Amino acid sequence: MTNTDVLDVRAKARRASRRRRIAYVIYLLLGMVSFFAIWEWLASPISPLLFLMDDPQTFMPRPWNTITHFVQNFLFSEGLQSRYITQACPELASERIADIPDICFGYALHLVETTKNILIGAAFGTIFGLSMGLGSLVFPKIAEVVTPVASFFGTAPIFIAAPFFVIWFGIEIPLLTTIGLITFYTTLLMYFFSRRAAENIPVGIVESALTLGGTPRSIFRWVYLRGTVPEIAGGFRIALAGAWGLGALVEVLGPQLGGGFLIRIWSFLMGTFGAAEALVSLTVFLGVLAVVVDGLLVLGIRFITRWSEAGRRLGL
Amino acid sequence: MSRVVTFENLWCVFEHRSGQLVNALQDVNFDVQSGEFVCVVGRSGHGKTTLLRVLAGLQPPTAGQVRLGDDVVTGPGADRAMVFQQDTVFPWLHVQENVEFGLRAMKTPDSEREEITAHWLEAVGLTDFADSWPRELSGGMRKRVALASAMAVGSDVILMDEPFGSLDYFTRRNLHDVLLDLWAESQKTIFFVTHDIEEALILADRVILLAEGKLVDDIPVTLPRPRDEDVRAGAEAVAITKVILQHLGITEEEATAV
Repeated sequence: MTNTDVLDVRAKARRASRRRRIAYVIYLLLGMVSFFAIWEWLASPISPLLFLMDDPQTFMPRPWNTITHFVQNFLFSEGLQSRYITQACPELASERIADIPDICFGYALHLVETTKNILIGAAFGTIFGLSMGLGSLVFPKIAEVVTPVASFFGTAPIFIAAPFFVIWFGIEIPLLTTIGLITFYTTLLMYFFSRRAAENIPVGIVESALTLGGTPRSIFRWVYLRGTVPEIAGGFRIALAGAWGLGALVEVLGPQLGGGFLIRIWSFLMGTFGAAEALVSLTVFLGVLAVVVDGLLVLGIRFITRWSEAGRRLGL
Repeated sequence: MSRVVTFENLWCVFEHRSGQLVNALQDVNFDVQSGEFVCVVGRSGHGKTTLLRVLAGLQPPTAGQVRLGDDVVTGPGADRAMVFQQDTVFPWLHVQENVEFGLRAMKTPDSEREEITAHWLEAVGLTDFADSWPRELSGGMRKRVALASAMAVGSDVILMDEPFGSLDYFTRRNLHDVLLDLWAESQKTIFFVTHDIEEALILADRVILLAEGKLVDDIPVTLPRPRDEDVRAGAEAVAITKVILQHLGITEEEATAV
C-alpha cells in the first residue's frame, strides 16, 4: 500500500465518521419533530383524546402555546402572584401563599431552586455513600453495620416513605425534606454502587498489585479509587435521575419553592386560563433540565473514564 | 550460585464443594538456584499454578513451607513479582503509571522512579507508548507492560503463570526473545509455568514436571542458546520432549496425532 493509498483510506474513514455524526443529528431532529407532531395532533381539534373527553385542550395545550407560556413566565409570572392565586382559589390562602413574596414567582427561580436542591442533595449523598462504601473496604466493620440498614431501606422504600417524610417535616422545614430526602436516597444508592464496583474489580488485578509490592493504602488509592470510577459514575447518573423524580415529588407535596411547588399551585388552578400550559410546560422543562444536567454529567464522566473503552461506548 | 528458593515438604489440599479432599500439591521438595530459569510443566489441574501461588504468597500451604533465602514465605511481596495469565495491567493507569505502581507503593524517590521506569520501558520496547492507555495497546504489548512492571520493582524472583498462553504464535515467540533478553540482563530467577513443551525448551535451564500435584521429574535443559528450530529439532531436545510426554502420560503416537 502506497502513502497515497493510506491517505485515501484515512480520508474515507474521516468522511464515514462525519456521515455518522450527521446521521445522528438528523435522527435526533427527526425524533424531536415526531414528538412535537404527535403532541400537536393530541391537542388538535381532531385529537384522538376526543374519544375520552369533551375538551382535550383543557389538559393538552398545543406545543407552541406551551412554549410561549413558559417563555413569558420564565423570569416573572403575572399569574402566579399571590393576589391572583388567592383570588382564583381562596382555599390556597390556608397554604400561606400570601406569605410568599411576589418576587419569587418566576419559573426560572423555582427551577433553579429545584436544580440546586437536587444537586446539593446528590452531592452530599454521594460523599456519604462513597465514604461508607469505599471506606468499608478498609474497615470491613462499616459494611457489617451499614449493609443491613441500607438493605432494609433499599431504594424502592425511599419512594414509598417520601410522602410520609414530607407530611412529617414538609411544610415547616422544606430544606430538610427536599435536600435531606435526596441525600438519604443518594447515600443508599451510592453505597451499594461503590460496594458493587469494588467487588467487580477483578481479583487478578488486586493480586497483581499485591505481588508488585502494593500496600493497602496504595491499592486503595491506585486500584479501588481509580478502578471503580465508571461503575460509580453510572450509579451517580441513576441516582441523579431518581433524585429529579424524588425532588419534584417532595416539592409537589411540601415546600413552597421549586418546580414541583409550581406544579402543585397550577394543579389547584386547573381550568383557569393558562393552567394547562403551565403544568405541561413545567413538567416538560423539568425533564429537559434533567436531560441537560445529565448531558453535562456525561461529558465530565467521559473525560474521567477516557481510559475505558466500554465506558466510552456506553456514553459513560 | 546461592540457593534462592526452597520448597520443603509442600502440601496443598483443597476441599471440593462435594466434601472430597483434592491434593493440589503432594510433598513437593526442590531448590532453585539464584539466576535460574525454571519452567514448571504439567497438565491442566495438576498443581502448576498452585505451586506458583504458594510461592507468591497468595495461597497458604496446608503443610510444609517455601523459603526465599532464609525467610519463610507468609504473604505476597515485591520480592516475588508475578505476571499472570489473564490481563492484569491496570486499565485506568497510563503505561508509565502502570510500570511505576510498585515503585510508588515502595515510596521510591521521584527521580529514581522515573529513571527505573524509563529503563524498563525501553527494555521492553514501549518508550513511545509511555503515555498510552492500555486499551490502546495490543495483547502482546500489554504483556510487555506487565513484564516491565514486574521487573521494575526489583524482585530477585519473577513468577510467570502461563503469561503468553492467550497470545498468537508470532507474538509469543517475540515475547520469548524479549523475556530472554531481560533475563540475561537482569540475572533474576524466573519461575515460568507452562503446559507448552516447546515453550519450556526455548526458555528453561531446568524443567520441573508436576503430575497430580507430585514432582515427578526435574530435568536439566542444557541445550545451547539461542534455541532456534534447529536446536529444538536436535537429538537432545527430542529426548527431553519424549521424557516429558512420557511423564505426562502421552505416548509419542498420541502427541503426533495431536
